[in-house]
Amino acid sequence: MANIGEYVYPGDVVKNVKSIKGITIIGPGLRQNEENPNTLCISQAGKLCFREPNTYWIEGKRHRYIPKKGDLVLGVVAKKAGDSLKVDIGSAEFAALPMLAFEGATKKQKPDVQVGDVIYARLLSAHREMEPELICVDSYFKAGRLGVLPNDGFLINISLNLTQRLLDIKDPLLPTLGKKFPYEIVLGVNGRMWLNAKQRKDILTLLRCIEAAEAD
Amino acid sequence: MDEKPKSKQNPLICLPGQRLCPSDNTYTSGQGTYERQGYIYSQLAGYVDIVDKDKVKVVEVHSKGEQTVVPAQGDIVTAQVNLITQQFCKCFIKCVGDTVLRRPFRALIRKEDVRATEKDKVDIYKSFRPGDIILARVLPITEAHTYQLSTAENELGVVIAHSERGHRMVPISWTEMQCPKTFVKEPRKVAKVVPENINQAEDKEEFKSVQE
Repeated sequence: MANIGEYVYPGDVVKNVKSIKGITIIGPGLRQNEENPNTLCISQAGKLCFREPNTYWIEGKRHRYIPKKGDLVLGVVAKKAGDSLKVDIGSAEFAALPMLAFEGATKKQKPDVQVGDVIYARLLSAHREMEPELICVDSYFKAGRLGVLPNDGFLINISLNLTQRLLDIKDPLLPTLGKKFPYEIVLGVNGRMWLNAKQRKDILTLLRCIEAAEAD
Repeated sequence: MDEKPKSKQNPLICLPGQRLCPSDNTYTSGQGTYERQGYIYSQLAGYVDIVDKDKVKVVEVHSKGEQTVVPAQGDIVTAQVNLITQQFCKCFIKCVGDTVLRRPFRALIRKEDVRATEKDKVDIYKSFRPGDIILARVLPITEAHTYQLSTAENELGVVIAHSERGHRMVPISWTEMQCPKTFVKEPRKVAKVVPENINQAEDKEEFKSVQE
């Protein structure tokens, strides 16, 4: 029997589920219980959270990214396979990124991407049964901030919770660091971060701060 | 080495490559044999058999435990979907017509061969999923190790599918199937399976409920 605000384990059951017109919204870590359809079964360890009127979810420390359509992710090019690239985004399978999905790319003029480059892309489609698909342009065929990132940056892996925290506009960590020295940062929802700053010691400072924030 | 086929009391045992008899008006090659430069040779190791067909004797070679049924162009086959991508769907052929095969054959269904209409707007994820059992037709054989299949007919497509929870789904239209336990609908390219004898089927309750 799990209560809101408690730390729960996989297998626990949430009873007394609130719903509006029979609809309850469940987030990551929860699923509909098969034995008792009006209750929820927990599938991830963490804290059970609730938001009015009918939303439940589990907040736990996660590192494994599960691809979802529309996410902005950071990936590393693993292979060049003819017309498309295989990009490692931390999911079960490498994601496919077509060479034509860059701004200004045509069949005769392909973008200059090598194995090992860091790419910031959007997930076009992600299903359990198929490999994920990426694109580096939006529906107007403009790249915006997407595409290949410069080689002089630094890529690190962080937990998914820290990513969500840093993506929150109200979080004070990144603006505070920005007042000390200028830096460039790219956050991928798949638990990856790319940093760049003018001086080496600035990059190291950033890394130490991120490590400290992670340990929280 | 010429050997005239003997009678059934003394069956002739032959090896692959063994020359059986000259190929002329009386003798033609059947299954398990091939014709080369005017003679009939055996393909398999086994017993030679002569069958009378249309006033011609057909020389056949049968070996124990062989299965001579192989998918040919135009056959309706039953296959299980193994892998799906954006461009094609890989599957294993399990049966050819009514015969269950001893070993599965690899097959491929390209995106353009899934449907007859609107071929370029096909989404493989909305037509098949891994684990589905499908009926398909064999296309002309082009590749060495894989068959090309097509489901571009009303009677072809998904016959048996399981929902994400593992329950067997019931077809509700030509493009959707529904799980009976969770009532979740999933998109598939459903096959129009007609009962073999329509008069018999009218007595069955299932057909009555479909009509309603």
